[in-house]
Amino acid sequence: MSVFKARYFDGQRSVAHEVSVVLGGGALKIVGRDVELLLDPRRVRVAPRVANAPRWIYLPGGGACALEDNDALDALAGAGGFARILHRLETRPAWAALALALVVAALWALIDRGVPAVAEQVALRIPPATETDLGRHTLASLDHYWMRPSKLTAERRAMLSAEFAALAAGAPDLPPHRLAFRTSPAIGPNAFALPGGTIVITDQLVNLAQSDQEVMAVLAHELGHLAHRHVMRRLLQGSATALIIAGVTGDVASTTSLAASAPVVLLQAKFSRDFEREADRYGIALLRKDHISPRNFALILERLEKVAKARHRRGLPGFLASHPPTREREALVRETAGG
Amino acid sequence: MAEGEIASPARALRPEFTGSGGEYFRVWVVNLLFSLLTLGIYSAWAKVRKKKYLYGNTRLDGDSFDYFARPETILKGRIVAVAALIAYALAGELHPESRFAFWAVAAVAAPWVIVRSLIFNARNSAWRGLRFHFNGTPGGAARVFLGLLAVTVVTLGLAYPWFVARRKRFVLGNHALGSSRFGCEVSTASFYWLYLRAALMQIGLLMPVGALAFYAVQSLRAYPTLAPVVFALPVIAAYAAYAVVYGYLQARTTNLLWNGAYGPGLRFASDLRARKLIGIYFGNILAAVLSVGLLIPWAVVRTLKYRLSCLQVIVEQETVHQADPAFARVGATGQELGDFFNLDLGI
Repeated sequence: MSVFKARYFDGQRSVAHEVSVVLGGGALKIVGRDVELLLDPRRVRVAPRVANAPRWIYLPGGGACALEDNDALDALAGAGGFARILHRLETRPAWAALALALVVAALWALIDRGVPAVAEQVALRIPPATETDLGRHTLASLDHYWMRPSKLTAERRAMLSAEFAALAAGAPDLPPHRLAFRTSPAIGPNAFALPGGTIVITDQLVNLAQSDQEVMAVLAHELGHLAHRHVMRRLLQGSATALIIAGVTGDVASTTSLAASAPVVLLQAKFSRDFEREADRYGIALLRKDHISPRNFALILERLEKVAKARHRRGLPGFLASHPPTREREALVRETAGG
Repeated sequence: MAEGEIASPARALRPEFTGSGGEYFRVWVVNLLFSLLTLGIYSAWAKVRKKKYLYGNTRLDGDSFDYFARPETILKGRIVAVAALIAYALAGELHPESRFAFWAVAAVAAPWVIVRSLIFNARNSAWRGLRFHFNGTPGGAARVFLGLLAVTVVTLGLAYPWFVARRKRFVLGNHALGSSRFGCEVSTASFYWLYLRAALMQIGLLMPVGALAFYAVQSLRAYPTLAPVVFALPVIAAYAAYAVVYGYLQARTTNLLWNGAYGPGLRFASDLRARKLIGIYFGNILAAVLSVGLLIPWAVVRTLKYRLSCLQVIVEQETVHQADPAFARVGATGQELGDFFNLDLGI
């Protein structure tokens, strides 16, 4: 026979009754000044315990009792199995510390490893044609605001296109791709792969290069972005990361959660650097297949960096940069060229 | 408190929060861990446990609140919401025109989703064994959320304070405890005053930010290596200015709203201080940033404690609230509402 103090509500009127809940002999009795109930304990539902918040037991017919003595109720109701473990985990400081460490580890594993791995698998299964629309829009707006048709002669472009075709022939697993020539003093010497397979190269880059091999080195790197589906993966990874951060910071006011999502910027930059490294490795392998020395890649990177410095484009610290440091990328060339 | 007593003097009840930041942190972190390990599936159970903790430790006139939503229902809602979000993000990136179609669907569905989520939250919350209800209709929500939003856009924002006043009144004023309906009367003029002051405050704060940005860009020529600092400083300053105005508006609109709210035999009063709330927000932001989000539960409890401590329920006439006969048979145990979207709008 166990007796608990409780407050009883009939579910019809907002009146609290001080009662005693008596359990014993296969029956549950609720007794107070104006209350006398005899219930079957099997038809009573006990709410799960959360720390030391008052505990509700829901009675058949819509009534409910609030109990303050959680421990006594646990001892009686025999809160076993998962509920008991959960309560222990949620209340002991040592478990909280362990959970904290595991949360950090799980978040890191999920965002740094899990999301990129899943994004890669998903991206490789989405047909490249789905990106065509996006690529067309991006190219149209770039053409409108930043770029003009190339001023290179038709012969020069034809020659570079032929060399590009020979280079790409070395990679059997490439999605559809084409080369587009543009001039853009605003963008400067650059080449970039757009979704859908268009690789844009600026006249400024062609003129900066001291040989066609250097131009091919850049294009091989851009083909790496296409082969590894970096556009789709960046998209998937970005959305998944934002979703995870939103889930973690979900229950605070918008100003605070905005501040807590600042790490997303750093993560995006890290993803971008990882993609560049992957494209670098792909490009170097492709160059060697085409019998072009990877040293040309190091040479053009150096030239590009010089231009960037002259244009006052430095200043971003490493953890914010979208590309790995040039020195690291040159080291990769040396490593692979040696073997 | 004897029943049927007619002319009792007014009592002022202050809700209080009896939990603690440390206790909530332990609940929060364990539930977050399980949510991560189950790739988000447990988050529905986590949400119920966290709300149970926060509601259970909120007491009014000696009795705590209760939250008893079924996690399975929340999980269903979350799966639909996440799928919609992913479809929107992917389709929007790949086919930018498809965004218009999504927005059109969202605009049509919004009033229904808003009302369903308010109903879901209300019916799964209780005090003294009585469920809350939300009596707003999708038609009403469409008028307030879409109609007035359209007016706001057409008037280039001039109708915005009116829109906010009506929106908040719709949410708060349509709630009920059992069959006791709450109401809310707020004067639109006072919202206009408030937003005028907020706008002036924003301008006053952003002028020095602009000057700071200008000076920073000037100094960039002399010290090019300082670029990251130079670009970060004005952004942080602008963010801080935004947080000040946000806190001010939160405090003052909450006060206006609750001071105009009433129910059978009772009215409400709220005396949040803007300065105090802004201070709390700044503490929260700083803590969230420095701990990469891990001090969020502490911030949640701190904010809730202050907000509750400023709210009063003034009982002018002792009233026994009754269950709504339409739902009287439902009881307090779980009920499948067929609710899909479980949004937290808050008030």
